[in-house]
Amino acid sequence: MSRSVWKGPFVDAYVLKKAEAVRESGRTNDVIKIWSRRSTILPQFVGLTFGVYNGQKHIPVNVTEEMIGQKFGEYSPTRTYYGHAADKKAKRK
Amino acid sequence: MARIAGVNIPTGKRVPIALTYITGIGPSKAKEIIEAVGVDGTRRVNELSDAEVLSIREYIDANLTVEGDLRRERQMNVKRLMDLGCYRGLRHRRNLPVRGQRTHTNARTRKGPAKAIAGKKK
Repeated sequence: MSRSVWKGPFVDAYVLKKAEAVRESGRTNDVIKIWSRRSTILPQFVGLTFGVYNGQKHIPVNVTEEMIGQKFGEYSPTRTYYGHAADKKAKRK
Repeated sequence: MARIAGVNIPTGKRVPIALTYITGIGPSKAKEIIEAVGVDGTRRVNELSDAEVLSIREYIDANLTVEGDLRRERQMNVKRLMDLGCYRGLRHRRNLPVRGQRTHTNARTRKGPAKAIAGKKK
């Protein structure tokens, strides 16, 4: 079920604060490190770059207009998968 | 022969059934069209007058996306996700289930027929 509209979008407060600080300082190229993968991407984040933590490191995410409404976590994959050893053998044949 | 929405030529069947042969029109959309145009659902396509066929064609053109247009639209939606680099896009690229289903077993619709793994027997 989707979230009730009356609650508004969920964003961790520190993400908002950091984004605002970067906006005011004018250095919009800086990577804003965040751990909050659960936060919604808001219209005021467009054009900023966030380093979204994936459990190991911060993945730089350039926020574009199309990303609004989705969560930061969607842009920072947490799993690395290189395929099975057997798959590679099968391909060589 | 009745040509509706480009290449589709359903003939001797009842109108609502025949319309479902068009990509993007299922039973309920077919019913909607018939009601809007005012054709009886028990009649067959070859009993329709040219004017009725024309009005069906016009209704579809005006109100629905079907066939090639629909397919293109779907493809664009998928492509948008893939270009965005989001999780759903990655799943589309890999041809794996997009909506969080398990992949340990099943997921054969997306993954295709099971591939035998060499030397897996006990």
